[in-house]
Amino acid sequence: MDDLSPLELWLSQRRLVVCVGAGGVGKTTTSAAIGLRAARLGRRVVVLTIDPARRLADALGLDMLDGTPRAIAGAGPGQLWAGMLDSRAAFDNLIAKVAPDEETRDRVLGNHVYRHMADTLAGSQDYMASELLHDLVDDDRWDLVVLDTAPVKNALDFLEAPGRLVRFLDERVLGWFLPARGGLWFAGPVNVVQRLLGVVFGADFVTDLGAFFSDFQGMVAGFLARHEAVLARLRAPETGFVTVAAPHPNGLDVALWFQEELGRRDLPRAGIVANQVHRVAVTDHDARGALGEAVADLGADLPPTAAAQLLARLSMAHRRLAALATAQAERLRPLRAAASPGFYVEVPRLDDDVNDLDGLDRIGDSLFGRPLKSESPR
Amino acid sequence: MSDDRAEIAGLLAGRLALVTGKGGTGKTTFASALAMLAAAEGRRVLLAEVDAKHPSLPVIFGAGGSWEPVSVRPNLDVANLTWQEALGAFLERVVPSRRLVGAVLSNAALARFLDFTPGSRELVTLSAVEQHTSRYDLVVVDMPASGHALSLLDVTRSALGLFRSGPIRQRAAQLRDRILHIDTHVVLVALPEEMVVSETIETAERLGAIGLLSRPPQIFLNRATPPTMTEDEGTLLARLAEAPLSDAGREFVRAGRWEAAMEAASAAAMAGIEAGCGRVPIPVHAMAPDASPTQVVQEVAVALGRRVGRARSEVEWTT
Repeated sequence: MDDLSPLELWLSQRRLVVCVGAGGVGKTTTSAAIGLRAARLGRRVVVLTIDPARRLADALGLDMLDGTPRAIAGAGPGQLWAGMLDSRAAFDNLIAKVAPDEETRDRVLGNHVYRHMADTLAGSQDYMASELLHDLVDDDRWDLVVLDTAPVKNALDFLEAPGRLVRFLDERVLGWFLPARGGLWFAGPVNVVQRLLGVVFGADFVTDLGAFFSDFQGMVAGFLARHEAVLARLRAPETGFVTVAAPHPNGLDVALWFQEELGRRDLPRAGIVANQVHRVAVTDHDARGALGEAVADLGADLPPTAAAQLLARLSMAHRRLAALATAQAERLRPLRAAASPGFYVEVPRLDDDVNDLDGLDRIGDSLFGRPLKSESPR
Repeated sequence: MSDDRAEIAGLLAGRLALVTGKGGTGKTTFASALAMLAAAEGRRVLLAEVDAKHPSLPVIFGAGGSWEPVSVRPNLDVANLTWQEALGAFLERVVPSRRLVGAVLSNAALARFLDFTPGSRELVTLSAVEQHTSRYDLVVVDMPASGHALSLLDVTRSALGLFRSGPIRQRAAQLRDRILHIDTHVVLVALPEEMVVSETIETAERLGAIGLLSRPPQIFLNRATPPTMTEDEGTLLARLAEAPLSDAGREFVRAGRWEAAMEAASAAAMAGIEAGCGRVPIPVHAMAPDASPTQVVQEVAVALGRRVGRARSEVEWTT
């Protein structure tokens, strides 16, 4: 283990890795490959995804992914676990955690306003991601958490979601709804804000909200404390944000945007992974030279037109692939600069789909710059 | 193709087109292309994005990005439905007194509160969209990615649950009724990728469950590759992939397999979407890798226009 690549060394010192990037850039696959490599290096890892695609579950040899992380066979010598985010359940759990007593908890969970707000908040899976990872990083079962965030620019909103919640519940707002000291709810003189809210939202909503707030006020401190703890965790030196990109315009723009945004928010930028990169070495696009004989041999039993058509097709395809590779190299250039002083790694597009741990190991080989096979033959 | 023609013609003749899909599928491109094409057909069109912090439409059209619609070419205006301005317009509509509206908007704590009140963003946005439909022949909305788009479309229902009385409840009921009764289309943009196809099918199902729309969504398969490889070629290519070859030979085979895989993925996506949604998606073929966003929009508009009998020169514009 003393001949780790620089990136493996980086990984071995992390407790939390967060992958961000646009949709379709291979973020889930990268998260899984990072988690698997850490497990190969002997660590106990959980990969959390918000991606319900079957393919990842299949690649990991699981029937399904759900809210309960499961251990994956064959990822040794360490351990690899994987799970999905169950955001609604996570939110109810959070309420249960910060509620001062069971009675308050039940009243809040049953409140008309809460049920709607929970859907809105729970709909923001990133918020729940930040909540869940707080517990998972502390969980003794694992020493590394890899988080795959939602493929949207507002993925980083999860950093602000608890803040938004707390602002929603800030003292001034609570003051509009809560009874004056010793008085009854809404018994005092109706102030202008209450009247406004009544006009805008309707009196029933204001009443529902008042009931909700009077139960919720005791929890504000709990939310704030958790928010602070989550932020501290995300900014900790043993956390790393990995920006995942791919050489299509959206994938690139979003990656550059994330890279800037992470810096602005003072979050530890680890580097950029560019996936799905095409590489072409041959400059002569005529397939006849390289493949003429092989095609004639292998196609002897097929109509002669098939061989000619295929050679023409491969020549065209190679020409197109070379043009694409050139365009990609040009497009990827700004990423290298944006990644500095962090790492910048290109992962070539694999010929076959990644549908098992072997495939993820091969991605890991490119990603971490060291083939696993030389270390531990499989 | 005749089905495609009727579908696209229907979209162009509608009153409201909401374009969504998984992140990165090309929603903005398709929304822009549809808006361009409808404008070329002589309809007065508004193309709007929803509270974009980094507006994409100005990148394509050279202008726009603000709440006030800006004309970018004949018959085509572009706007950004920004939250603050949409909230102002919404309050003016539901609150009887201008003074009260001013008081709400000038109270920072109250504005934050409104921002966070469940569904208020969505309701305010949908209200702005609906208001624009009375000013234009067709409003095309470049919606957020499908998850957020669904909560936007579902908000009239959740608002009716949350607000048991008052003007917001009335407006939500009115919006629901209006959007159900004007000629509204939802467009889903998909890609020939397994994850995108499954999310597209799920979105179509959930749209049906929301019950806000009178018709199923129209699905476009972006970056599709048409099937051209013959069976014999496929057999031969498979043999080559197994054979010992030079490095150069392997690179040609890799190029061929890459294109064959794209053809196969497109065919699988067409079949998967048809099986999952009961509708055949309309394929739009891949563009040159080095095309600018504006060129890509033009090419998609030309490709869609061709299916309704429009020549390139009728659709394209030069700047």
